[in-house]
Amino acid sequence: MIFQDFVFYSLASVVIISALGVITLRNPVYSVLLLVLAFVTSSGLWLLLEAEFLAIALVVVYVGAVMVLFLFVVMMLDINLDQMREGFWKWFPFGAILAFIMTVEMSMVLMSKQFSSEIIQTPEYKSVDYSNTKELGRLIYTEYVYVFELAAVILLVAMVAAIAITLRHRTDKKSSNASRQIAVSRNERLKVISMPAEKKE
Amino acid sequence: MLDTMLGNYFPILLFILVGLLVGTLCLVAGWLLAPNKPDAEKLSTYECGFGAFEDARMKFDVRYYLIAILFILFDLEIAFLFPWAVALKEVGLFGFVAMLVFLGLLVVGFIYEWAKGALEWD
Repeated sequence: MIFQDFVFYSLASVVIISALGVITLRNPVYSVLLLVLAFVTSSGLWLLLEAEFLAIALVVVYVGAVMVLFLFVVMMLDINLDQMREGFWKWFPFGAILAFIMTVEMSMVLMSKQFSSEIIQTPEYKSVDYSNTKELGRLIYTEYVYVFELAAVILLVAMVAAIAITLRHRTDKKSSNASRQIAVSRNERLKVISMPAEKKE
Repeated sequence: MLDTMLGNYFPILLFILVGLLVGTLCLVAGWLLAPNKPDAEKLSTYECGFGAFEDARMKFDVRYYLIAILFILFDLEIAFLFPWAVALKEVGLFGFVAMLVFLGLLVVGFIYEWAKGALEWD
């Protein structure tokens, strides 16, 4: 499958270059946009692995929703880049140690026996009527149903937490309440008094 | 190759390539063909004819963030609905009830945010 290899390597190089751009560019908005490119290209890689539903879900959920959130966060933070770069060398040893530990841990997992090419065989190419979405649905709603319901609880918690943290009602707003305007009765607005007419002089 | 599942996505790859090509061609043609005579006044920032008041990178209201995060949560919920709909005949009544419980939990959250007024833009 020479053509598929070609597609894989071109997508993979786009992912790596855009990921490098994410961490090296100075403008955080550019970084977020490059992260979008990295996600879109990774969805192409997932499609090559015949995980079609996950590839589309990556675009819909991450590119469509999570990146919007990232942009809002970047714009909300009011980042001063000069201030951020001040302590770079002071914190460099700390960050280098953390990165080193993470790299060692990841390589310990990825170079273990479970990921070796003897255990993971090259998968067969699926025929036209194969549906990855159907396979996922068959597993999620039967075998992993407990985890699936847990996901609902986590989403619920996230909803409540987001509202509890960020919801602020404004008190200085000047807007009309239509239902109260309609429900008003004549007696609240207009007072009819009877008084004798003035005599003309 | 076209008789595999992956082969069905080959037209999409072609679409992406053609789209990239057309987009790049337009930009390159504009860059090459258009007259380009910049001066200080043309390149300066302006706001409807007068000088800019402030930096465009001002702080956003946190309410945009709330709308975005509520959108993500329901987006994820929708993402779970697709494989369920495709495999509904195979997961049967059990899968149907499982999804009803899932949706019920999220409806609790939806009622909460509606009642709290998180969906109102005041």
